[in-house]
Amino acid sequence: MKNSFDEKILEEANDWIKANQKVVLATVIQTWGSSPRPTGSRMIVNEKGDFSGSVSGGCVETAVVRECIGIIKNKKSFKKIEFKVSNESAWEVGLACGGEIAVYLEHIN
Amino acid sequence: MKKQLLDQIIKKKENKNEFAIITNIANGESCIFEKNKPLDKNFEKYLDQINNFFNKKKNGIIENTDIFVETYVRPIKVIIVGAVHIAQYLVDYAKSLNFEISIIDPRGYFASEQRFPNVKIINKWPDEAFKEIETNENSALIALTHDPKIDDPALQHALKKKFYYIGALGSKKTHENRCKRLKETGFSEKEINLIDGPIGIKLGGKSAPEIALSIIAQLVSKTHNKK
Repeated sequence: MKNSFDEKILEEANDWIKANQKVVLATVIQTWGSSPRPTGSRMIVNEKGDFSGSVSGGCVETAVVRECIGIIKNKKSFKKIEFKVSNESAWEVGLACGGEIAVYLEHIN
Repeated sequence: MKKQLLDQIIKKKENKNEFAIITNIANGESCIFEKNKPLDKNFEKYLDQINNFFNKKKNGIIENTDIFVETYVRPIKVIIVGAVHIAQYLVDYAKSLNFEISIIDPRGYFASEQRFPNVKIINKWPDEAFKEIETNENSALIALTHDPKIDDPALQHALKKKFYYIGALGSKKTHENRCKRLKETGFSEKEINLIDGPIGIKLGGKSAPEIALSIIAQLVSKTHNKK
């Protein structure tokens, strides 16, 4: 039976917007291999780089925050990004577990 | 995503509706899907596939398209009988899980709003209280009073309605007596064996938060085992 954790990220996004923050929603839309979080996992990021929720086990959140700030600065509305198997040169944004994920970023406005 | 859509989504979640969010990741458009309701015409041609995802309660991208589907299911109803100390911790743990808790306790001092803010409390005997809650085989019961007058009618209701999880607090001896009483009322051994008693997985703790943790762990495990 499906009864996923309800992390209330969308409710939190709404609270942030009410507090006049700019919010980008990041959602895991595809996974390959042993990704740490399932499809549908979410996190939100504001213009300052504060974030809540998660799209991995801490492996790629830094890169997602940077991308989200970029979306707000460049006044874009959405973007898809992929993270692949980590290697030494990409240690900072790679998935240590060897999985791959696609994350969809969208500005809520 | 438009702020207006976010508002609609939050409202649907509050109303415990079942729905899906559909997003076209190639152009950024998104909408809400609800079963048997008209769908945004930009997404109409994917209706069959969206229905398929929704019926399987699945999230993901429809094959060979740019359409992402995320389904939202109604929270599972968990009925706690006994507004006792352990119940207060159960309410806390359940906050981050997709469970909708109702508490039944005919004893006024226990079932107070001050003890359980923002929780549905029914200050009636179980037979009356269950008239106010729609239950089925996707519901769960946690009986905590270990008072036969209060727990037994609730257990009988849960067995009749085939709840997927039925747990009852009390020692082995208390549980043996409980089983005898249920047998006398006409329940079969097979039915009675569906009750988890003494309730909870073995963690070893005796404090209220530890017992609550052992109960919620058993409930989550039973939820995932249910197909």
